[in-house]
Amino acid sequence: MTSPSISSDLPAEFTLPNRYRTNRTGPIRWIVSHFMRYWYLGVLILIGAYGNAYLAAVVPVKIGEAFNAVMENPAGTDVLIGIVWTIVWTQLVRGILQFGRNFGAEWLGQLFERNIRDELYVSLLGKSMTFHNLQPVGDTMARATNDVREINFMFSPGLNLVIGSANFILLPIIIAPNYHPSLVITPLIFLAVYFLLVWQYLAELRPVSNRVRQSFGTLNTRLAEALDGIETVKGMAQEDSEIERFENNAQGFRDASVRQGDIEARNLTLLLLGVITAGGLLHSLLLFRDGLLTAGDVVAYFGLLQLFGFPTFASIFAYSQVSLGIAGARRILDLINKETDLDQNISGFDQQMRGEVVFKNVSFNYDDDEDAAIDQVSFSVSPGQTVAIVGQTGTGKTSLVKLINRTYDVTAGQVVVDGVDVCDWQMAALRQQVSIIEQDIFLFSRTIRENIAFGSQDSTDEEIIEAAKAAQAHEFILEFKDGYDTVIGERGVTLSGGQRQRLALARAFLTDPRILVLDDSTSAIDSATEDKIQRAIYAAAKGRTTFIITHRLSQIRWADLIIVMRKGRIEAIGKHEDLLASSEAYRRIFSE
Amino acid sequence: MGFFSGLDTESYDRQYSDRDLVRRIIQYFKPYSKGLLVVAFFLALIAVSGAAVPVLVSRAVNALDQQIENSQIWILSAAVLVSGVFSWGGNWVRRRLLARITQDVIMDIRVQAFRAAASHDLSFYDEFSSGRIVSRITSDTREFGQVVILVTDLVTQLVQAGLVAFVLFNAEPQLMLWLVITLPLIFLFAIGFRRLARKVTRRGMRAMGNVNAAIKETVSGISVAKNFRQEGSIFGEFDDANQSSFRVNLQRGVVLSLLFPSLNTLQGFATAILLYVGGMQAAAGVVSIGSWYLFMQSLDRFWFPVLNLSSFWTQLQSGLSASERSFALIDAEHKVVQVNQNPVPQLSGEILFDKVDFSYTEQESVLHQFDLHIKPGENIALVGHTGAGKSSIAKLVARFYEFQSGNLLVDGMDIRSFNLIDFRQQLGIVSQIPFLFSGTVVENIRYARPDVSDEEILTLARRIGDGEWLNTLPHGLETEVGERGGRLSMGQRQLVSLLRVLVQRPAIFILDEATASIDPFTEWQIQQGLDLILRDTTSILIAHRLSTVRAADRIIVLDNGQIIEEGDHDGLLSLGGHYAGLYNTYFRHQSLAYVEQSVEFSELE
Repeated sequence: MTSPSISSDLPAEFTLPNRYRTNRTGPIRWIVSHFMRYWYLGVLILIGAYGNAYLAAVVPVKIGEAFNAVMENPAGTDVLIGIVWTIVWTQLVRGILQFGRNFGAEWLGQLFERNIRDELYVSLLGKSMTFHNLQPVGDTMARATNDVREINFMFSPGLNLVIGSANFILLPIIIAPNYHPSLVITPLIFLAVYFLLVWQYLAELRPVSNRVRQSFGTLNTRLAEALDGIETVKGMAQEDSEIERFENNAQGFRDASVRQGDIEARNLTLLLLGVITAGGLLHSLLLFRDGLLTAGDVVAYFGLLQLFGFPTFASIFAYSQVSLGIAGARRILDLINKETDLDQNISGFDQQMRGEVVFKNVSFNYDDDEDAAIDQVSFSVSPGQTVAIVGQTGTGKTSLVKLINRTYDVTAGQVVVDGVDVCDWQMAALRQQVSIIEQDIFLFSRTIRENIAFGSQDSTDEEIIEAAKAAQAHEFILEFKDGYDTVIGERGVTLSGGQRQRLALARAFLTDPRILVLDDSTSAIDSATEDKIQRAIYAAAKGRTTFIITHRLSQIRWADLIIVMRKGRIEAIGKHEDLLASSEAYRRIFSE
Repeated sequence: MGFFSGLDTESYDRQYSDRDLVRRIIQYFKPYSKGLLVVAFFLALIAVSGAAVPVLVSRAVNALDQQIENSQIWILSAAVLVSGVFSWGGNWVRRRLLARITQDVIMDIRVQAFRAAASHDLSFYDEFSSGRIVSRITSDTREFGQVVILVTDLVTQLVQAGLVAFVLFNAEPQLMLWLVITLPLIFLFAIGFRRLARKVTRRGMRAMGNVNAAIKETVSGISVAKNFRQEGSIFGEFDDANQSSFRVNLQRGVVLSLLFPSLNTLQGFATAILLYVGGMQAAAGVVSIGSWYLFMQSLDRFWFPVLNLSSFWTQLQSGLSASERSFALIDAEHKVVQVNQNPVPQLSGEILFDKVDFSYTEQESVLHQFDLHIKPGENIALVGHTGAGKSSIAKLVARFYEFQSGNLLVDGMDIRSFNLIDFRQQLGIVSQIPFLFSGTVVENIRYARPDVSDEEILTLARRIGDGEWLNTLPHGLETEVGERGGRLSMGQRQLVSLLRVLVQRPAIFILDEATASIDPFTEWQIQQGLDLILRDTTSILIAHRLSTVRAADRIIVLDNGQIIEEGDHDGLLSLGGHYAGLYNTYFRHQSLAYVEQSVEFSELE
C-alpha cells in the first residue's frame, strides 16, 4: 500500500529567503553589522556634527575680529558688514548641517528599530514550538517593543548628542592654538577631566537608577494588586496592613529617588565648566597683558570656551542612553540566539497517518535538575480511539500530549505513531497530521470566517459554515450582527471560553488532522450550552484518534480509554468499569 | 521637563477654581516651608552668579581698551571662578533640597491617596476602574511633584534674565531695546513650533496605538500560526505594522529634530544684527565695548526663559489637572456610613433582614422590602438567575454596600453600629474568582491572621483530601503563587482561599462559588474544605454547583429581589416550580444521571 507523501516541499520551520545577514556574536558587533548597511548615514552624521561644531566656532572667531576692528584707531567699521554677512550665511549653513546630523541619526534610529524588530520577528517565526511553549509572551513583547525602542533612542538622541558634543570639545582644541599655542592647554584639560567625570558619574548613577526603577515596580505592582483585590482586603479587614505596606513601598521609592537626585545634583561636569571658564579667562588675560594676544583674540577665545556648554549639558543623559541601548541589544540578541535542539528531519517518514499511538516507557523533564514531569509512562491507543486524560494540576497531563507532536522531545523511552518513532517522522508531516487545541485559545483580530479558515485558507464559504455547524458554533456566530464577517475584538465583540473552543474545533474540522489533542478547561454555566459542547466534542472525535485532557465527567465516562495521572505517572488506566473497580480516587469522583 | 514635554497631554476643559487648587497645593508644601525658603535663597544665589559671569567678563573686556593691571586680571578671574563655583554649589544644594521636598510631598499625597482608596467602599470601585485609580496614585502625584521643579527652573531663569536686563538697561538703554525686539519673534517661533510638534505627535501617538496592538497580536499569535503553518500570512501582518510604525515615527522624529537647528540659525541671525548695531555704536564711542560684549552675551539668557515660557502654561495646566485628579480621589465621599464604632463581641452568626430596600443606582431597585432570617449556624444556598439579587444579599451582610431603608441585624445588633474592622474579622469571604496576593501559599493563608503558626496551617491543610493537593504544588506551602495568584490553577486558588478562611475561624462565611472548570479530583477536595468550614459557621452560599446546593440546610430561591420558594433540594424539586426550572437550566448537567445519558450526543448527527 502506498499513500501520497505529505507536503515534502515544506521545511519544518519558517525561513525567508534573501535576508540581510548580521553578525550575531555580540551586541556591539551585531549593531555594527546592522549599521554597515547604512554607512552613508554615519558619514552624514559625522559631516553634520563636525560642520555644525566648526560653524558654531566661527561666531566667536568673527566676534573677535569685529572687536579688533572696532578697537583700532580709527575704528574700521567697514569690515563689520562683511563679518555680519559671514555670520549670517555660516549660521544658515550650520542650521542645515545640524539638521543633517539630527536627521541622519533619527533616520538611523528608526531604521534600526524597524530592522531589528523585523530580524527578531523572523527569527521567532523560525523557532520551534518547544521554544514558544517555554518562552513567556510578555517577555517577548517587552523585547519587541521596549528594548527595540531603546536601540532607536541610542542613536537619537544618544549617539547623536555624543558625537555632536564630542566635536564641540574638539573644535576649541583645533582653533585655540591659532591665537597662541599655549591656549590649547585649557581645552585639553577639559577634554581629559570631562571624560573621567562622565565615566565616574555614570558608574555611580547606574545602580541607583536601577533601584529607582525596581522600587517603583514594587510600589506599582502591589498597589495594582491591592486595588484589584480590594474586596479581599476589605473582607479580611486588612486595610491597615495594606496601607502600611504601601507606605513602606512608597518610602523605598522615595529614598531611591532622593539618592538619584543627590547624584544628579552633584554632577561635577558643571563645576568643571565653571573652573575651565575662569582658568581660560585668566590665561588669555595674562597673555594679553604680555602683548601676546589682541583684545579681539581674548573675546574670541572666551567665546570658544563657551562651546563646552553643550557637552556639559549632553553628558547628563546622552551616554546613559547609549549604554541602555547596548543593554537592550544584548537582551534581543539573547532571544535571537536561543536555539532549540529539535531537528527538522526533512528526509523523515512522511506518509498518510492512521493514528495509532504507543508510549513505550516514556520519561520527560524540562530541566536536567528538575523532577521528571513524565515518569516511565507506557500505553497504547488504536486508531480512532478517544482517550480521556484526567488528574490534578501539575500532574503532567499537558506535557504528556505535547510529546506526540514533538513540541517536546522525550528524555527516555519512545513515542511511536503508526509504528514509527515520532523522531523519525518528517516534522512537517507529523505536525500537519497532529493538531493540538490549547487551553488558552488565541484568536486573531480578524473576521470569524478568517479565524476558522486559518489553517486551510483555500476553504470555500460552504466548507467553513459546514465546519462551524459541526462544531456547534454556527448558531452563536449568526447571533452577531455581521455573522461570519464579525471581527473578533472589535467594538466589544468578545467570546466566552466555550465559544472560543468551538471556533477552534471548527478549525480542526477543516484541517482534518488524524490525531486531535484537545486541552479542555471550559465549563458551561447552563445545561443547554453543555449539550452543545458535548455534541461538538463528540463530532470532532469521530473518525480520528483523540486525546482529551478534560474535567468533564461525561467525557471521562464514555472514553475508550481513561488515563489517570498522578505526579507524572499513570495512577490508573482502563475503561470506566475497570477504574471503578480498581481506583479509590476514581470511585470518589463518580459518587454523589 | 523641557520644551518637548507636555506635547502629548490634552488641556482638559475642567470646571475648577484655580485658586482653590493652588491654595491646596500650598497646604502640602507648608510643612517644608523652611526648606523652600533655603531653596529660594539658593535660587537667588544661582541667578546672581549666573548673571555675574557675563557682567564680569564685560568688565574685563572694557579693561582691554587700555593697559590692564595685574591685580585686575586676578580679581576678575577669581570672581568668575567664584561665580562658577557658586552656581554649581548653589545648584547642588538647591537640587538636593528640592529632590527631598518634592519626593516627600509626592509620598505624602500618595499615601493619603492610597489611604483614601482603601477606605472607599465597593460602590466606588464599581464606578472607577482600579487601573485608573492606580494611575491617580502613582502618575498623577508624580506629575504634581514636577510642577514645583517646573516653577523653580523658570523662576531662576527669569530672575537671571531680569538681573542682566537691569545691568544692561542701566548701562545702555537703547541697546537693550534692540534685544527686547527679538523676544516676541522667538516667542512666536516657539509657539508655532510647538503647535506643529503637537500635531505630528498626536498623529504619531494615534498611529502608534494601532501599531503596538498589531505587534502585540502578531507576537502572541506566533504559536498558533506555527501550529497551522501560516507563518507567511502572519509575517505579512507584522511587516505592515512594522513598516507603518517606521513611517510614522520617522515623520515625527524629523519634525522634532528641526527645533535646535532652526533656533541656532535664528540665534546666529540675531547675533549678527546685535554685532552690527552694537559695533557701530561702539565705534562711534556711544557705548563702551564692554557693554557691546555684554549685549551679545545676553542673547542666550533672554531666549531660554522665553522658550520655556512658551511651554510653561501647558505644562502647568497639566500639572494642575493631575493634582486635581489626585484630590478628587482623596475627597470622594463614602457611601457606607457607620453610625457607631461599637466593638463587636464573639458572634453566633444570626442574621436578620428586616424590610430592607437596596439599589446600586437610583433607577433600579434590587431588593425591595426584603425579609430573611438566618439562624445561627445555618447554611443557606441562594439560587436564581443573574440579577436576582443573590450577591447583593451577601454584599450587604459584608457591609460592602449601603442599603437605603429597613434594618439589617447581626446577632440582634444593627450592622451600622459596628466597628467595621472588628466586624469583618469575624467574616470569612471567598469570592467567585479567588484573589491571592503575590507571595507564597502560606503567606496568603495567613493573610488575615499573621500570627498563625506553620504547624497549625499544615495540620489544617492535611485535613483537606489528606493533603494530596500540597503535593501538586512544586514547593508545597512555600510555592510562589505569582501576581494575583496566576501561577496556581483555579482549583488550587480556591483551596488556598478556603484554607485562608479556615485559619481565620469566622462566625459568618460567605461564598460566591466559582463557575470555572476544575478537575474532578480537586473538586472533591474543595468539597471537603467547604464541609469543614460549613460545620462551624453561619453560611451564605451563592451556589453554582449541584453538590453545594444539596449540602445547604435551606435553599432560598430568588427572583427579582424576592424570595419565591424555599426549602431543601428534594422537596423543592418535587414541587416542580421555579426551582425545578432553575435546576434544569443550571444544575442538570452536573448530575450523574446526565453523565450516564450523555453518550446519546455521540449518536446524534
